[in-house]
Amino acid sequence: MSVRINQKKRSAVFIDLKTFEYKRALDFQLKVVQSKIDKPLTEDKIFFVEHPCVFTLGKRGGKENLSVSQDFLMSKNIEVIQTERGGNITCHCSGQAVLYPIVDLERSKISVKDFVHGLEEIMLRTAKDFHIDADRDIRNHGLWVGNAKIGSVGISIKKGISFHGLAMNINPDLEPFSWIIPCGIKNISMTSVKKELTAQNIKKDISMNQIKDAYIKHFSKVFNYSIIKKNET
Amino acid sequence: MKEIDDLNLPDNVKYSKDHEWAKQEGAIVSIGINDYAQDQLGEIVFVELPEVGDTFEEGDEFGSVESVKAVSEIYLPIGGEIVEINDALEDAPELVNDSCYDKGWLVKVKPEDDSQIGDLMNKAAYLAMLKG
Repeated sequence: MSVRINQKKRSAVFIDLKTFEYKRALDFQLKVVQSKIDKPLTEDKIFFVEHPCVFTLGKRGGKENLSVSQDFLMSKNIEVIQTERGGNITCHCSGQAVLYPIVDLERSKISVKDFVHGLEEIMLRTAKDFHIDADRDIRNHGLWVGNAKIGSVGISIKKGISFHGLAMNINPDLEPFSWIIPCGIKNISMTSVKKELTAQNIKKDISMNQIKDAYIKHFSKVFNYSIIKKNET
Repeated sequence: MKEIDDLNLPDNVKYSKDHEWAKQEGAIVSIGINDYAQDQLGEIVFVELPEVGDTFEEGDEFGSVESVKAVSEIYLPIGGEIVEINDALEDAPELVNDSCYDKGWLVKVKPEDDSQIGDLMNKAAYLAMLKG
């Protein structure tokens, strides 16, 4: 599928929320969406964040894909949170680079399917920057390295405005993913940029700042945006 | 994605700014999402609909459609009571893509105010909005 994006350049502000608890970040996103509904000319915003470990469910659930008990999760201090996004169960944790673009798709004339495709493209190009040969998979949206998933996508649309977004594993502890059936698909594994580089015998530390810069560069190109970077909300 | 001129926009329905359609059939109004919306969303894998008997104001969110890892809210173009929902979509949500004005209808509404449907756009006005 080709991505047809409007020719007019749009602008957005990139805000680094750093480490931010999931529920707070979701409330925050909803407030920004509402402010964009109330004031349609407000600029689009792109939030970068890392979450302390949490499991989130898609609109249609995914709790059945939890392989461990609630007691076990409580002992690890991990919450399971119901969300309104598309997709199934997933895990967010430190070392995962999450992007929440609050974009007025209606005004920007970006279709929902092109937006999801574009978010995958941002992760694909970011992986390529670090010499990782990743691809899409018809079984499930997101980004894959062979049979292992390295990046996920799941969004919601309210009055034409997107929230939620993408999450790419950079250097997280992958163990919590073994406590769920990610995306509800059996017999797949999860991988990360670090794991893939280690498999190639490449010893290279990747900082989140490099990922942020890659996301900004690729978001700008893929969606034809001019992005201003801000460090605070 | 379809070009605007290639969209299937029948003359015998009314259109909302949120890309739903409404068709008066006697005292009842059928509601669905239009060709532009289904094309923008991509392959629809799930449709969440309200219960029969639920009532909504004009513009209220009355359900959602899930496509390609995206959940999009849908809004009722007229206020009223839900008198029927399209049960076939539970097993065949793709009907919304394949037949958005016919087999892929979403709900039937008993309007609270018969004049509201008159406030919706005709094909020409909706096309002008899309092109605007």
